[in-house]
Amino acid sequence: MRPWRGLAAVLAAFILLLPTLPAAAEEADYDFSAAVDALRVKSYADKEVAISALADTGNDRSIEVLEGLLVGRLFYRKSDQRMVLAEPQDVDYEIRDAATGEPLGTTGKRKLKKIGINNKLRKHLRGTIARLNLAHNDPAVRMAAVKEMMRNLDAAASDLLRAAMARERDVKVREAIRSGIALADLDSPDAAIRLRAVTDLTGSLLPEARNRLSGLAERNADGSSSGPDETVSLAARKALQSIESKLALNRLAETVFFGLSLGSVLLLAAIGLAITFGVMGVINMAHGELIMLGAYTTYLVQLAMPNHLDYSLFVAIPAAFLVAGLFGIAIEQGVIRYLYGRPLETLLATFGISLILQQLVRTTISAQNVAVSNPSWMSGSMEINPALAITYNRLYILIFALLVFAALLAVLKRTSLGLQVRAVSQNRAMAKAMGIRSEWVDAMTFGLGSGIAGVAGVALSQLTNVGPNMGQSYIIDSFMVVVFGGVANLWGTLVGAMSLGVANKFLEPFAGAVLAKILVLVFIILFIQKRPRGLFPQKGRAAEG
Amino acid sequence: MRLFPSLLDNDRGGRIFMGLLGVVCVLVPIFNLAVPETSPFHMSTYTVTLLGKYLTFALLALSVDLIWGYCGILSLGHGAFFALGGYAMGMHLMRQIGERGVYGHPVLPDFMVFLNWEKLPWYWYGFDQFWFAMLMVMLVPGLLALVFGWLAFRSRVTGVYLSIITQALTFALMLAFFRNEMGFGGNNGLTDFKDILGFNLQSDGTRIGIFLASAIALTLAYLACRYIVDSKMGRVVKAVRDAEDRTRFLGYRVEQYKLWLFVFSAVLAGIAGALYVPQVGIINPGEFSPINSIELVIWVAVGGRGTLYGAIAGALLVNYGKTYFTAAMPEVWLFALGLLFVLVTRFLPAGIVGLLRRRGAEAAT
Amino acid sequence: MKTLEKMRAAMRRERSLRRMAPDIVYDPDLDTSHGPILYLENITVSFDGFKALNDLNLYIDDGELRCIIGPNGAGKTTMMDVITGKTRPDAGTVFFGQTIDLLRLNEPEIAAEGIGRKFQKPTVFEQQTVHENLELAMHADKRVWPTLRARLTGEQRDRIGEVLDIIGLTAQCQSRAGLLSHGQKQWLEIGMLLMQNPRLLLVDEPVAGMTGHETERTAELLNSLAGQHSVVVVEHDMEFVRSIARTVTVLHEGSVLAEGDMNEVQNDPKVIEVYLGE
Ligand SMILES: Nc1ncnc2c1ncn2[C@@H]1O[C@H](COP(=O)(O)OP(=O)(O)OP(=O)(O)O)[C@@H](O)[C@H]1O
Ligand SMILES: [Mg+2]
Repeated sequence: MRPWRGLAAVLAAFILLLPTLPAAAEEADYDFSAAVDALRVKSYADKEVAISALADTGNDRSIEVLEGLLVGRLFYRKSDQRMVLAEPQDVDYEIRDAATGEPLGTTGKRKLKKIGINNKLRKHLRGTIARLNLAHNDPAVRMAAVKEMMRNLDAAASDLLRAAMARERDVKVREAIRSGIALADLDSPDAAIRLRAVTDLTGSLLPEARNRLSGLAERNADGSSSGPDETVSLAARKALQSIESKLALNRLAETVFFGLSLGSVLLLAAIGLAITFGVMGVINMAHGELIMLGAYTTYLVQLAMPNHLDYSLFVAIPAAFLVAGLFGIAIEQGVIRYLYGRPLETLLATFGISLILQQLVRTTISAQNVAVSNPSWMSGSMEINPALAITYNRLYILIFALLVFAALLAVLKRTSLGLQVRAVSQNRAMAKAMGIRSEWVDAMTFGLGSGIAGVAGVALSQLTNVGPNMGQSYIIDSFMVVVFGGVANLWGTLVGAMSLGVANKFLEPFAGAVLAKILVLVFIILFIQKRPRGLFPQKGRAAEG
Repeated sequence: MRLFPSLLDNDRGGRIFMGLLGVVCVLVPIFNLAVPETSPFHMSTYTVTLLGKYLTFALLALSVDLIWGYCGILSLGHGAFFALGGYAMGMHLMRQIGERGVYGHPVLPDFMVFLNWEKLPWYWYGFDQFWFAMLMVMLVPGLLALVFGWLAFRSRVTGVYLSIITQALTFALMLAFFRNEMGFGGNNGLTDFKDILGFNLQSDGTRIGIFLASAIALTLAYLACRYIVDSKMGRVVKAVRDAEDRTRFLGYRVEQYKLWLFVFSAVLAGIAGALYVPQVGIINPGEFSPINSIELVIWVAVGGRGTLYGAIAGALLVNYGKTYFTAAMPEVWLFALGLLFVLVTRFLPAGIVGLLRRRGAEAAT
Repeated sequence: MKTLEKMRAAMRRERSLRRMAPDIVYDPDLDTSHGPILYLENITVSFDGFKALNDLNLYIDDGELRCIIGPNGAGKTTMMDVITGKTRPDAGTVFFGQTIDLLRLNEPEIAAEGIGRKFQKPTVFEQQTVHENLELAMHADKRVWPTLRARLTGEQRDRIGEVLDIIGLTAQCQSRAGLLSHGQKQWLEIGMLLMQNPRLLLVDEPVAGMTGHETERTAELLNSLAGQHSVVVVEHDMEFVRSIARTVTVLHEGSVLAEGDMNEVQNDPKVIEVYLGE
């Protein structure tokens, strides 16, 4: 679908330019539509000629027409012989003029006649389309074309690639073309060329390269090479080794990325807790539910602006911060305030609140999970090399988590609220004596921690299911992070979250997801024995209370 | 027999509770077995089983009160010991099924046949013997508590930290038991039990028997707990609760006191689980869920911690409420439970017992 | 009449104190043949780089009563923390007698060796009665099982009664310790020390919050304990120190500034500077 949209844009530009170049454009249009009409001939041989002619017009629409022909969407209207591209609607077809793309409404199936092709033509079409794409202006299109061709390399394809290589300027595309040529050369009868091809493929991460090379590198039962000559096989073996080690490196990078991604989720979930638990010593079991509220806020925001989903998150973030923050302040004012100095009671009371919040969502919205959509810019992935792709949503959430962390750090370090918060956390009585309104600071701190939980909920809504129970799945993990990292130290939370995330992902291949999680939990239980105050303990007499 | 009265001499609540329990133990069998089903006074076996289940919950609450109310250890993982006891009992009942399972395998339980297991895993050996299973009911939770407690108390993990890692413990166990490879029936757990000690589990007589066994276990556990908290050890434990460091400087090895109390409490929880399973007919990993462990703490809080009988009263009351609400207005139950948590901690820190005592004291003056 | 009462009470106390003779056997390894019962050598304790104790050397003789004074933050309480195992020093050695290395023992083991402590901030078990507090402190087998089976013997009951008498809390013996006044809690802690009957008593600020009369009684009590027991008293109240002191040690910034009898110390220019210079 993507390239079509791109084409539409080009087309739009084209149309805008029309008035300035009326004569030339009209003439080109006429030639093009004649070339399209030529496809209507009966004989397949003539069709082949017509296809090449169409490709040679250099018109941007030719790719679309040829692709339509390839997938059987190119028709002519029986009434006026007009060539059309048709999309099946329920019963009828929605048709457009093939040459101009002008919509022509819907029409019945009977009124159209398909332009037929055979296998030979199909092959020819593929090659032609690939050639056109190889010459396209957009490097991404060219890249895709090279990839497509590599799946089916024959002499013609290899010639096309060689021709493209001469023109190509983009480094990445050149690299891909070089690999493609080398792949084709592996079949060359000349051993020297084969050897060079193998060398060219050394370190290539293309799955095809690996498959072909391992074919060449195979040994017979007696240890001799199965390939036609020994040197090539030897080189192939070496190339394969370098590929394997490169792949391993990429897998490592991928695991680390997944680990960091999980870590960023943990960080988001835990960081608000690090504030309420670390600074205030309050165990807030409803923290997970504040995250849930953030996620539901995202859902409601998207409901309210269905036509602007791409911007919905930017509205949802402040909204979730406010919603969760206000809930947090209400919880603090209504319950926690009365329980300071009784951490175990606080734990129980906030657990009660978590039950109430869950049930509230269940009765007011739905007991089922709700669908939160991803904005378009969050979907898709970034390909770093053929063996390593990073999905945008994970990448953005990782960045987002770090931004939230930095922002929080800045708030604590640079604002007067931060100063007061730190003062209260270090010595409540002294801070009070110096005129800090510790009740107000408590409420604000709790609101801040809760608001961040809400923001975390926005991010998590992009990764996982949003439902009344989602908070519960985070609460134990986030406590583990805070306890592991050390209370009252945001850096500890960062390091704790990231290392737990990475550790989890490294364990998974060996142990499976569940066992990995169990192992991490057991590790933390043991870790607390060794360092009861976490990685980065708070020091001083106050800490000994 | 001098022991009982002397233990309960200063324990009015205990005497009342024992008396009530004794009356119930006489009346329930009569109303269930002797009164004909057509009579309005007949008590259905369903009700008997429900009462029996409450008694096991009461025992569980008692075990939590012993460590929380008296020693200040808030375990949020006691459900794990309960479930382990339950699994030990479940394994015995599973092996009692014998060839009557769906697949009719003489040794392997159904789920193992289903998973194509060839032979019984070693840790299932011996569970065909009742005495062995009963031993494991106490030993497994006890040993886990011993190892966990030794690690935790030795490094002086206290307060909320301890609570959190007990949550992690039960969470980890839940995840583990969900795995089929563990050999405990995975998701579905153990169920389809047929009989216990040769008695059909579905028969009224057996149900009454298990009900009475639960009542006796609760009574004995209560007396044992009362003995402990009234002894000098009980006073040491309370001292630990209120000023742990100070107790150390008096020469008490605080870790050991905590550890043994914790182990004893875990064993009680295990026994409660073992009595629970034959009454409900199933044990699955859901029993390990962290929420269960937190919920049972609120039973104790509602009744009034640090009194023993308060925990029992709380367990009975809250569970009765749960049965009632979940049947009558299911959506309301979680609201009610949540509110209970908030209101009790906020307004009734000493629970119902504390409230009654305060009333009593006011009336006296 | 009043003086008569007082004298009678004093005699009663005298009797009971004499009966406090160490009939209980502590570690037979405790070797005080060279004089000192406690050796603190080159002790350094630092908190985040701040040295609360700085190369401290201190010896306490068997049976002596030592007063330790020093400005706030001098490290007096920290020193007691080191002796009782609450704080581990970064460097230095602590020996009880010639042979018992206290640094290798934990708090209850140190207590079992016969070192008792009264805290600066009185800490008693507030939820339990005065009587129970004393029972808890009583010298006895403190392992779990014996404690579970323990019943008070007649002798032990008498002993508790005597101590209640000494600390003047007989009337309050069944009331909860949390209900006592600050001074009464101080007395209760002293009573608990007596019940422990240790070889070495570490007493941190015993008379804070006491009336003049009570201060006198405390002085009298501590004086009578010396000889049988070794006593280390930390106190800011100079009158009190003067009334009991034989040897006084002045701590300053984590090490010993001066040592000697009260007059020597008071006229020491360094000490004067420290106290007046602040
Ligand atoms: N756990 C700790 N962490 C950080 N600093 C500590 C700690 N314990 C003691 N200190 C510091 O060590 C110094 C000595 O404290 P200490 O309590 O021993 O003094 P002190 O002589 O007993 O004073 P006071 O007469 O006020 O009781 C003080 O500056 C104190 O702040
Ligand atoms: Mg001090």
